[in-house]
Amino acid sequence: MRNRNHLLVIAASAALIGVVACNNDGLTNINTNPNSPEDAPATTIFTNAARVAVARWVGNGYDLRGTEWVVQHLAEVQYPDEDAYKRLQASSTTPWFDTPYSAELEDFRKIYQKGQAANAPGTWAPAVIMRTLVFSYLTNTFGDIPYFQALAGDSVGSSLTPAYDKQQDIYTDFFKQLDAAAKALAGASNTLGDADPIYGGNTAKWQKFANSLRLRLAMQIVNVDAATANTQIAAALAPANGGVFTSNDDNAQLNWPGDGVYNNPWSDNFAGRDDHRMSQTFVNLLIGLKDPRLFTFAIKTEDDTLVGSDPSFANYAGMPNGLTQATASPYFNDTSRPGLIFWPAANLAAVEGGVGKTTPTFVMTYAEVAFIQAEAANRSLGGLTPATAATSYDNGITASFDQWGVTMPAGYLASPGVAYTPGTPGLVQIDQQEWIALYTDGGTTWSLWRRTCVPNTVKPGPAAITTIVPRRFEYSTTEYSVNETQVKAAVARQGPDLLTTPAWWDKNWNNAAVVPTFTAGCGSQ
Amino acid sequence: MQSHLWRLLSRAGATLALAPAIALAQQPTTITGRVTTEAGTALQGASVTIPAIGVGGYSNQDGRYTFTVPATRSNGQAVRVTARRIGFRAQAVNLTLGGGTVTQDFTLETTPTEISGVVVTALGQSREKSQVGTAVQQLSSKELTETKAPDIMQQISGKVSGVQITGTGAPGGSSMITIRGSNSITGDNTPLFVVDGVPVLKQDHGASPYGGWDMGSVLTDLNSADIETMTILKGPNAAALYGSRAANGVILITTKKGGNTAGNVRTELNTFYTMENPSVLPTYQNEYGQGAAGNFKYVNGAGKGINDNYDQSFGPKLDGRLIDQFTGKQQPWVAHPDNVKSFFQTGHTASATLAVSGGTDRANARLSAGMDNLDSYIPGTYLTKANALLTGDLQVTPNLSTTATVNYIRNVGRNRPGQGYGNSILESFVWFGRQVDMTALKDGWRNSGATNGGPADREFNWNYNYHNNPYFLMYGNPENDARDRLIATVSSSYHMFDWLTATGRVGSDWYRSQINQDFSPADITGPNSGVGPNGAGAGLDQSFAGAFTLQNEYNNETNTEGLLSANKEFGRLALNGTFGGNIRKQTYSWNSVSTAGISAPGIYNISNAAIAPQNLQQDQDRQVNSVYGSASYTWNGWWTVEGTARNDWSSTLPKGKNSYFYPSVNTSVVLTDMMPSLRNNYLSYLKLRGSIARVGNDANPYQLRTVFNGSANKFNGLPQFSYSDVVANSELKPEITTSAEGGLEMSFLNGRANFDATYYAKDTRDQIFNVTVSPTTGFGSKAINAGSVTNKGVEALFSVIPVQTRNVQWTSTFNYARNRSKVVSLYPGVSTIIVPPSPTTGWWYVTVEARQGEPYGALVGNAYLRDSVTGQMIVDDGITQAGPRRVLGNIQPNWTGGWANTVTYKRLSISALLDIHNGGSLWSITNWFGDYAGVLKSSLRGREVDWNKPGLVVNGLDKATCGAGSGPTADGMYHCIGGSANATTITAEEYFQNIFPVNEGYVYNDTYVKLRELRIGFDLPQQWAGKAHASAVNIALTGRNLHTWTKVPNVDPEISYSTGNGTQGVEYGSIPNARTFGISMRVTP
Repeated sequence: MRNRNHLLVIAASAALIGVVACNNDGLTNINTNPNSPEDAPATTIFTNAARVAVARWVGNGYDLRGTEWVVQHLAEVQYPDEDAYKRLQASSTTPWFDTPYSAELEDFRKIYQKGQAANAPGTWAPAVIMRTLVFSYLTNTFGDIPYFQALAGDSVGSSLTPAYDKQQDIYTDFFKQLDAAAKALAGASNTLGDADPIYGGNTAKWQKFANSLRLRLAMQIVNVDAATANTQIAAALAPANGGVFTSNDDNAQLNWPGDGVYNNPWSDNFAGRDDHRMSQTFVNLLIGLKDPRLFTFAIKTEDDTLVGSDPSFANYAGMPNGLTQATASPYFNDTSRPGLIFWPAANLAAVEGGVGKTTPTFVMTYAEVAFIQAEAANRSLGGLTPATAATSYDNGITASFDQWGVTMPAGYLASPGVAYTPGTPGLVQIDQQEWIALYTDGGTTWSLWRRTCVPNTVKPGPAAITTIVPRRFEYSTTEYSVNETQVKAAVARQGPDLLTTPAWWDKNWNNAAVVPTFTAGCGSQ
Repeated sequence: MQSHLWRLLSRAGATLALAPAIALAQQPTTITGRVTTEAGTALQGASVTIPAIGVGGYSNQDGRYTFTVPATRSNGQAVRVTARRIGFRAQAVNLTLGGGTVTQDFTLETTPTEISGVVVTALGQSREKSQVGTAVQQLSSKELTETKAPDIMQQISGKVSGVQITGTGAPGGSSMITIRGSNSITGDNTPLFVVDGVPVLKQDHGASPYGGWDMGSVLTDLNSADIETMTILKGPNAAALYGSRAANGVILITTKKGGNTAGNVRTELNTFYTMENPSVLPTYQNEYGQGAAGNFKYVNGAGKGINDNYDQSFGPKLDGRLIDQFTGKQQPWVAHPDNVKSFFQTGHTASATLAVSGGTDRANARLSAGMDNLDSYIPGTYLTKANALLTGDLQVTPNLSTTATVNYIRNVGRNRPGQGYGNSILESFVWFGRQVDMTALKDGWRNSGATNGGPADREFNWNYNYHNNPYFLMYGNPENDARDRLIATVSSSYHMFDWLTATGRVGSDWYRSQINQDFSPADITGPNSGVGPNGAGAGLDQSFAGAFTLQNEYNNETNTEGLLSANKEFGRLALNGTFGGNIRKQTYSWNSVSTAGISAPGIYNISNAAIAPQNLQQDQDRQVNSVYGSASYTWNGWWTVEGTARNDWSSTLPKGKNSYFYPSVNTSVVLTDMMPSLRNNYLSYLKLRGSIARVGNDANPYQLRTVFNGSANKFNGLPQFSYSDVVANSELKPEITTSAEGGLEMSFLNGRANFDATYYAKDTRDQIFNVTVSPTTGFGSKAINAGSVTNKGVEALFSVIPVQTRNVQWTSTFNYARNRSKVVSLYPGVSTIIVPPSPTTGWWYVTVEARQGEPYGALVGNAYLRDSVTGQMIVDDGITQAGPRRVLGNIQPNWTGGWANTVTYKRLSISALLDIHNGGSLWSITNWFGDYAGVLKSSLRGREVDWNKPGLVVNGLDKATCGAGSGPTADGMYHCIGGSANATTITAEEYFQNIFPVNEGYVYNDTYVKLRELRIGFDLPQQWAGKAHASAVNIALTGRNLHTWTKVPNVDPEISYSTGNGTQGVEYGSIPNARTFGISMRVTP
């Protein structure tokens, strides 16, 4: 009996050690993640990244609750803190800097790597184009940003504190990237297919998008580096590279399923908020031009007693930007909301007949391309001559009407204020029409406006916290926590981290000798 | 070789075991007697045991005990018989086991603070406190059931030094408990809970600060009336045997057992009936109503009138003028001072636990059934908890005993109040019209908004822009949840030899829970925030008939343990050793299904989804294998040295690097026993103790490889994946906490005064956390081992009996704890870490951070712009300006303490507990937005009836007058040269709404004192109790959170946003703790 106990003691101890201490290598097999794979097809990543990028830059906060106030397409009628730029300071805009890197940009990098590995330009080139688009929004918004060292956080030995690169160097690389993408796409086979929510994988269209984006970016730097702008515009338009958009069929746009899960971001916003109104700057401009796009861009005021000087535009009114709360609220009923096409059927403001869930988001349109061509022609850039300016200008207006489903009245293109006049007045007309056509793309409109100062009626409102329209947004507060040395180096180079500090391509913004469309006091309170 | 060793070991063992058996007298010995107090009353539940041979029994309600030492073990030897009971000093006598019956009575002295006595220590071992070399504090059943709180954690608040508890205030909600500060920067800082030797789940279901419902921690399932003792092993030193889970301390819970009642049945009853109301509500202003700039007129509540879209109270003066309102045209514009208060009701809790128990010397059992019903002070919120616990002990043979415990709990919640932005009931009163008639909202919430000009497809409300009718918030989006839980253990012990026992134990804790959240399409805000642990919820598309989210959760932890324990006395030397192994398996599974739109109204079933449902799933498995052991020796009863060692192998760390070893050593010396000459009329007891320990922590599962996350939604039917935001790390190693502590225990004047103090220093390094990296790396964070956080502090417990006469006794206990934490180092190049779940942009700009060189938990936010030289505010157009971000406070208190007093006069006793929290900071968003919205009384500052003569001039320098050379400075401040004082007058509305986004003025010193518990109890006369077969029947009036003294305005200073690390010190629209009044009856067998 005692001996048996003995055996028990020893056996129990041995069993304990045996069971517990051995075979612990197998233990770690439990740690295989059952929820998420370690790899995924490039197509599935593209669908997500493209959707996320489009919604962010041409729909959600950065656009609808940020840059649309700045460019004064829209004005804020309740708690107008954004419209006075108060909530466009770093504490509010930080996510617009932070999230794109870890969301779509990192994913486009992965798609690029996979596409390269599979030797599939139909996969990697669209990723390059989208990445360039996103980076262009970022640098146009903040100035110098991490670019060359960015997005490598998962590579062994990579820096966790990427350096900020000069905007000029970034633009130089943009042109290189888009050139490579366009060349690779020539004759490339469709490898993305339906997973591409923009072009269904059509490589010819992606090629045109690459060139069109190159055209936009080239014109963007015209005030600081006209020579590069000139050569890059020429390269973008060169037929050998595949050319730019030639009709609305080429538009880069995202068609929302409107299935209740993925709706047009503006319509999701208007379902539960009613603090957006059309800006007076925008409405007055359209009324002045008797532009019927207003009836699509805006809806009539609640108050139906407002009859302006032109009865056909009765009950359309915009509100001033940047008011105090007390002065903004009387405009609630007396100003126009954004158009019906942006409202879902059920919404807070009881705007009836909305179909907004499926309204497409326009990433880049033929209208914009035509206007840039018109400007290049007006200024004799990229091999174009002023002779073609009027045609491109008319093409742009026609395309914009068509894009928004607005029927152009007969003789409209010849009407006063619309009919093209050569020289600098024509340049103003071109930029003004482009500013109108870019409605719903606040970021691109802001870049255009900063470059041209057109329309010059855009001025900070009385409650604005700066005396000039913001030239950029402030760097991320996260960066000051976790990448302090690098962000401070960028600030030292670029200038104080303020809304009023212009970045590289914007540094001549108030130099009338460089900016032909500049007018004194432009953008100042 | 092997067989040789085997033989040798067998022979050695046999010799040891058989030696005393030679002189065996083969006759059983029965030991019987009575245990009484000094006052002569019977003492029930005392254990009388012979530790050396592991036999014994419990005293019954008459104080009588009987047990028999089997013939095989009654061999004529002298043994030491010890009688113990919690709260009394143990007493031991020597007896000879010579067969027959031996009578031995014991009289036990009370020890109010248990400076001596028996405590439960690691692995559930009972030890003389005098022989324990680490800080432990034990609470008795009585201390845990003095008053009634829905959460057992709240019941220990203020009673244990160094234990800090913060809650979200939600009824049945969660509490965060930390012992001796926070060790881990981003990981778990809460202790391990062990019930009857088995670790239990502590999964927290706190709400997200951005919404959701607080389902409480699963610890709320435990019934305080079933707990015999709760032992707090305060640091790694005491808890080292628990290895990788010991870093934050361990709370050991021992449930009540049947005991030997000589076959009689004992009945216990614990009943409470309490009424509750909110302990703190904001002080609202009642002079101005809804609106802006002094104007208001209602048309549709969404902007058609004058400012009727505004959810703030900067409107006309409430002077009775006639204004169109949501209740009708041309109504008198008057204050409804109680409109918030009247929303709340008097809550009721009925709670009862009935237990029957009994047994013989061979078998005993206890069955308890408990029920809590809470009808909260928040209308619509009902919580019920039903609990059944069955415990049985069986002495199968003289050498083999088994114990089994089954605890079933069903926890049901209905309409828990929403939390955070957009859902919180108190937040809806931050944005409110002070003229709003609550009765109209109550009567009308079921009606359509068309009733008063609002949208026909929304609920009736005073405003149709931002917020819901508060009654709709509580009733319109019904929430139901239920959790079924089973905690079961079975263990067997076999006495192999007199000195050696083998124990095998399997314990498992399972629960399944379901949360059902339905959304009405009439919801004004259109909820889009997630509910529950993983933020599920597709939102609501109001073009459909409603939306819902259904979540299921399964969680299980099973521990299988084998343990050998040896006790042997050699003369004055007592040796004690344990050796064991454990396998812990944990399985977690969660899934949810939700849709933003259903087709047919009222059918919240996924087959009725009109919008593609969103499905989410999370599974998690982990396993830890462990071997551990301890050895201690005690010399002459006054010097003890103990060493422990443990090795863990974890599934969550890389292959080959997943083994880690934790040693500890502790010692204690009772100086007054070592040198009896030290003892005098004043000093009766003096003990010193010290310990060094190392423990650790493994990683969470699946942190080794970066993954692609799939989306629950398909885009046009297409799958979507995105590369994870977190860079995994295949080289992770366990994090290590090293801790040293020293302590002193003293007793004076024969126990009339006792003092127990500890100093400790802890250092946690190689922490596993996701360091926030520059987002430009393409990732938000990276899993790393880095950093070091130290916590140093003192804890003291002082108790005294100032008055002790025949009829009157006054006991006073004060506990004190002070912890100093410091973030010594982080990751190279990283000087601060934003502690999740704090967003990188902060809780309205305030982040909770671990900053190098500072205490853990810095609150960093926007300061006012000030002159860099004079510190005066820089004012622009009369308005304050935002300056740089800086540290505005820290979540860590200066010190915490509790002061308990009990006065007994004959059968009447009065006890009170003050809970003290000194220092620390609270960022109160309720105050910040409450001023912005003009609802708080504090927002009356500078208001004028005449809006043409507004009333505030900010004290500061007018920026416009700053001369040449003025400008921003490198530190983000402003250098104003030659500026003059601001003279611009602004309205209160302009002032408060332009403070935004400055946080500085709303970070408060979070000092408070709470009257946590008050109890006036009366023991019924003994003969009455006797008729109920009880030793005592006590009837009491009880109260909790009766008063709060604090300088934090308008909110309960004890509340935090949620229970995550990075939500401490932050409050918004938090539900205040309930103030309760009640009556209780306690029948003690």
